[in-house]
Amino acid sequence: MLSEDTTDLWARQFHVTDQEQSNAKFVFPRWANYLLPLILLGAMGGAVYVPAVVGLGLNPNTLNQNYQPKQPIPYSHELHVGQLGLDCTYCHTSVNQAGFAAVPPVETCITCHNPAEGSGVKKLSPKLEPLHRVYLPYLDRDSGYPTADAGSEDRPNPSNPDQGKPIEWIKVHDIADYAYFNHAAHVTKGVSCVSCHGRVDRMGEEGVYQVENLSMGWCLECHRAPEKHLRPPSEVTNLSWTPLDDPEVIEAIKNGDMKEGDVDAAQLLVGLRVKEQYNVHNAAYMQACSTCHR
Amino acid sequence: MIEPNLTASEDLQGQRYWRSLDEYSNSPELLDKIAQEFPEYNPDELLGMSRRKFMKLAGASMALAGLSLTGCRRWPKEKVVAHNTRPEGTLPGVPEMYASMTQRGGVAHGVFVTSFDGRPINVGGNPLHPIVGDPEKYASGELKMGAADAFTIASILDMYDPDRSRSVVKYSGGDRKRSSWDEFAGAVSGLKADSKIAVLSEANSGPTFADVKKGFLKHFPQATWTTWEPLHRDAEIEGSMRAFGQPMRGQYDVSKAMILASFDSNFLGDHAAAAKHARGWAKNRLSCDEGKMSRVYAVGPALNQTSSNADVHMQVKPSTVAAMLEQLAIEIGVEGLDSTISLGEAETVFIEKLAKDLKEHQGESLVVVGSGQPATVHALAWSINYKLGNLGKTVSMTQEPAVEDGLCVESMSQLVEQMNAGDVDTLLILGGNPVFDAPADLDFAGALGKVGNKIHLSLYENETSIACDWHLNEAHYLECWGDGRAWDGTICLQQPLIEPLFNGKSAIEVLAMIGHDDATEGYDLVRRSLSSSLKAGKYDVATSSWPGAPVGNPAEKAWRSLVHDGVLLGSSFPLRAAKPVGASGTNISIATSEMQLAFRQDSKAYDGRYANNGWLQEIPELITKITWDNPAWISVDDALEHDLQNGDVIKIEADLGNGVQGELDCAVMITPGQAPGVVVLTLGQGRTYGGRIATGVGFNTYQVRGSQGQGTVYAASIKKTGQTHPLATTAIHHLIDTSKLGPDALSGGKDRDGTGAMAAWALDKRVGKKPGDEGMLIKQTSLKDYKKYLEKLEKNPHAKSFANDDAHGDVSLQLYDAPLADEFAERAEMLKKRAEEMVANGELDAELVEGWEPAEQFNDKHAWGMTVDLTACMGCSACVIACQSENNIPIVGKDQVIMSREMHWGRVDTYFRGKPEATRNFKVNKDDSDVVDAVHLPVSCLHCENAPCEQVCPVAATVHDTEGLNTMVYNRCIGTRYCSNNCPYKVRRFNYFDYHSKLDSDSFRNSGGPGGISNNPWLKMPDQQPGDVIDQIRRMVFNPDVTVRMRGVMEKCTYCTQRIQRAKIEAKARWAENKTAAEALPAGPEKTKRLAELDDYPYVQDGDIVTACAAACATGAITFGNLNDPKSKVAQLQNKNKRAYKLLEELNARPRTQHMGLVRNPVKA
Repeated sequence: MLSEDTTDLWARQFHVTDQEQSNAKFVFPRWANYLLPLILLGAMGGAVYVPAVVGLGLNPNTLNQNYQPKQPIPYSHELHVGQLGLDCTYCHTSVNQAGFAAVPPVETCITCHNPAEGSGVKKLSPKLEPLHRVYLPYLDRDSGYPTADAGSEDRPNPSNPDQGKPIEWIKVHDIADYAYFNHAAHVTKGVSCVSCHGRVDRMGEEGVYQVENLSMGWCLECHRAPEKHLRPPSEVTNLSWTPLDDPEVIEAIKNGDMKEGDVDAAQLLVGLRVKEQYNVHNAAYMQACSTCHR
Repeated sequence: MIEPNLTASEDLQGQRYWRSLDEYSNSPELLDKIAQEFPEYNPDELLGMSRRKFMKLAGASMALAGLSLTGCRRWPKEKVVAHNTRPEGTLPGVPEMYASMTQRGGVAHGVFVTSFDGRPINVGGNPLHPIVGDPEKYASGELKMGAADAFTIASILDMYDPDRSRSVVKYSGGDRKRSSWDEFAGAVSGLKADSKIAVLSEANSGPTFADVKKGFLKHFPQATWTTWEPLHRDAEIEGSMRAFGQPMRGQYDVSKAMILASFDSNFLGDHAAAAKHARGWAKNRLSCDEGKMSRVYAVGPALNQTSSNADVHMQVKPSTVAAMLEQLAIEIGVEGLDSTISLGEAETVFIEKLAKDLKEHQGESLVVVGSGQPATVHALAWSINYKLGNLGKTVSMTQEPAVEDGLCVESMSQLVEQMNAGDVDTLLILGGNPVFDAPADLDFAGALGKVGNKIHLSLYENETSIACDWHLNEAHYLECWGDGRAWDGTICLQQPLIEPLFNGKSAIEVLAMIGHDDATEGYDLVRRSLSSSLKAGKYDVATSSWPGAPVGNPAEKAWRSLVHDGVLLGSSFPLRAAKPVGASGTNISIATSEMQLAFRQDSKAYDGRYANNGWLQEIPELITKITWDNPAWISVDDALEHDLQNGDVIKIEADLGNGVQGELDCAVMITPGQAPGVVVLTLGQGRTYGGRIATGVGFNTYQVRGSQGQGTVYAASIKKTGQTHPLATTAIHHLIDTSKLGPDALSGGKDRDGTGAMAAWALDKRVGKKPGDEGMLIKQTSLKDYKKYLEKLEKNPHAKSFANDDAHGDVSLQLYDAPLADEFAERAEMLKKRAEEMVANGELDAELVEGWEPAEQFNDKHAWGMTVDLTACMGCSACVIACQSENNIPIVGKDQVIMSREMHWGRVDTYFRGKPEATRNFKVNKDDSDVVDAVHLPVSCLHCENAPCEQVCPVAATVHDTEGLNTMVYNRCIGTRYCSNNCPYKVRRFNYFDYHSKLDSDSFRNSGGPGGISNNPWLKMPDQQPGDVIDQIRRMVFNPDVTVRMRGVMEKCTYCTQRIQRAKIEAKARWAENKTAAEALPAGPEKTKRLAELDDYPYVQDGDIVTACAAACATGAITFGNLNDPKSKVAQLQNKNKRAYKLLEELNARPRTQHMGLVRNPVKA
């Protein structure tokens, strides 16, 4: 409700008195007739534009979900991890100690796939050619393919300019440069590989692909309620683990404290326990900007 | 540019603090600048815009925002390049530290280099080095990092300088042709053993250099050797020869000196052992809390790092310095002098007081003379020190290795003579830039033309390279093996951290190559020459080993630990007994009425070698806060006499000796506190062929530095030319605007129209009401008053402020403080309880907990805080550069600095008080008001708990985290700059452009336009995404742990959040791993025990996190740590030290960084 003074002021400002107001007759100009269709058109356009922008922006494609680049060597996690049972940390050794889960050096592959040794696994497979090319000092002059009679690292062979060079893998999980992620901080406290990378043990020669969208909202989902994702740190590399495997859960089901097959309740039980045990921070800390941005 | 009004009315002067002459005179232009948050921004254009136009533009930009696809761009495909063979013990992505060294002027400075995946990114001081570090304190855990000065820290930028020379170059007849090392080797292999070779080398104290040199001279018996350093210590060495009969070097132990007298010296700043001096100095300053303190006297032509921190200082002409020292010698009774010195009143008082103090402190005092003074003055100082019983106590003598090839100027003159006489066939110049920096009267460039074959090894192609036939590209010190000796003689090892980026070679490698040495690799040369120091047998070059030296061999072990430590402890020069042979006068007439010139090292270019280093060019100089320039410093009186304003160009004419007259056109900077009758010039700027950054910056002062006047010129003249030169000084930037904080601030600042009441109030608050009062920014007191205050506190524990009790009594807190959240109070309670429990368990000293309070807000398990001690701060700016290096801070260029757009997260403000034309800080009598003094105040983001910036951010891009960091989220910032507007401390910096991607040299330096400034500097900026444009070489210097900011976002100090996170993650991940291992144990007592051990939360221990600024600080003025840990040093300081105060406390912003008041030990009038 405007006070009288204000109304007066308002009137004086626009030089309109009551008298003038009642006498004036306002007629819309002719062009105003076109306004309605224009507004309608705009509204219809907006109805398409806004959902399109929002939809495209949040599209998994935009966020690069399912991104699966072709790698220089068709390494199959399915074979090595899923079937042969290699542990993740056999190759990604630094995952417990460093921010970066190191991609293994050529050396690591060579421990099994040494073309110079009689027992070298699949040593003649053409799929391993890029690996052997950077490892071996000698190339077969006819085939251009590494021969088995390798020299040593100390005797580099000028005929093989690629010797000693690294393999350039394509980064699949690439978060923005202004966000910082540290593997050790997560893995040592019970965040499993599978939570972010999915079932890598089922990804074959086509290469690893991005399962989650890696958006900030997705990160925060866990940072707000870590108990929904935590598991005992001893189980982080066990990609097929479910909370129903936990001894405490089995005990609870046996005692009838929990329904059989209730995964959510089981996860909550395990998650809260791990959270307590490992002093996982409260939600306020985990959502503070400096936790990920620097 | 603001022209200071030097004749400000009386009532505006007095005991108040000001940063520039503009502020002193409260010029209207300056007030206008304060009023504008973002200077040079013209709001008229916006205000004059019609509402309609504004809506049109806003609508259009909104509509187009969607079309530009800015949000939908994929970032480039990245590769993971794993090792082929991972070196043992390395983890990708984990930084490693290596010890090495860098050499300047023949003195080795130990460095600690951080390397990230094989890429050095950061240089700090080696804590094991006896000068920049302290081996004992390192062993006891007290010292984590050695000190590093600005030059050392910034030297990493030189390595990644895109302007560095990238290959061997052959010049013939004005033709520049790329060549190769092979071609050069072929060319010099024909040098006959009897050819007349002259070698002109930079000083190098390394045993390896001496070793290779010996071999070289053996191969070429006719060769002559000259060592040239433009910042030589000829006078100092000659002085010691006069005094002791042989050249000797003084090793000062400042920590034992209670009375220090500096005669035209800057032993805290530009001395080769400055870091050690600074640490010793700080020890006797910080003891003020125990009621005792050293006293520093300083006399020199202008304020410098030593005198601006001195208790008693006086500025006089260089010739008077000599006379004053002579008078001092007479007063303390040095024999053999005639007493005929007549000094002015103030000079006499100064010397009287100094003599009295010195006599009372025999054996614990020190008199130091600077390298600008002639040899006679140095010799006299030794007699004084001897008379006072200081020799062997506060100063010990060792050998002086720098004289092997004779004194610099002398041997340089001889070389030029030889060259002119045609006695030199081949001249090999190892490093340096003699064409630019040789004494001007010798005409080195002319003599060079008479030499047939000229070879120049250098990091850059410079003025000397283009006058030679061969330019060889030198390896940076981080790329090659080498060694050197520290100031005290300790052998330091230089190990490379990276392969030479451009296939450069070091000086020893080039010498070995030309001298047909059997070893050619730097590694072999170094190991061979160090074999005697390491007590190893004859080194075998072919196998790169000492024969019969398996890994377990003691020599091999010693070598490895030398590589690890970077220093060979115990290898310092043996101390020598010394006694002066007799004193004599200085023979310097003080009657000279002519203008005198004093030469100093440049705070940016050193002697010219760092001129292409942008970090250094943009660092504000200590006193004048000049960036990108080296104007001549001139006193207020001389400026008035010659009618000069800042930036006016003068012509300096000087007699160079040998009958040569030199002249120089140079801009002036009027400097408070400077002595009339002397012009101070810094050396090294004004390069004509120095790279994109160096070329054209400043003035070449070598033009007036002749062989007779290397330190001081006693007869020169100046003349106004009428030209002007723009100067970029930051002294008028980021002024703290207290004028809006008055009692009637709510009335909308009506005061600006000239009633004056509020301005006066603000001035009072900023600077203190009456002489002796403290201001809101700086709290300063004398030792006597401080002791009195501490006594008073014992009677009345509520006495408010250490300097003056009721100075701020009438001011109510100005910012609204939201009521404390329950969780904070609860947590504080919890933290206190925990501390008490720990005391009960005997885990914590009860004394530590008494009087300690946890942080009130944002008090998670850690609550970060900092203290900056003004008593220990010397204002050297090493912290500013260290921050720049750690946090990927760009340089912006001169034009942008003039617009107040420099990006440094931290700054060191120098406040003066008193009268700018005064030349001393002590009173001759009680009513004397003719005094001036300086105080250095470092300011960066204070991480206020009640942060004004956070309250105005519309997008919550700056918010607190749970540990009290005021975080800045770059990806959320939309660049409104409201936060900066609302920050009372002016610590936020805005990226107006993608400064990192600027490549165009013109956008760094002034260019075009009237007055040398381009009218629209922004038009020249390549305005693109950093990734596309930043030079591939230059981007290698980035710290990968810190986001590289792009244009349009605000940034500021983060307390090195990346270092905090690293320490926390490391501690917690180790703890969690151990816990998992313990959990896996079978149930039993062992498991219970191990789990119990891991029960407590893994706190980061005090000292585990050292911020970049604190690490660089030589005096330990910066302390960082956890306020919630009663054991931490910062918690103890903030809670218990009576000097701790909050900057502008009245605002109630409640900063987490507290400053510690300045205590000085002045003399009574």
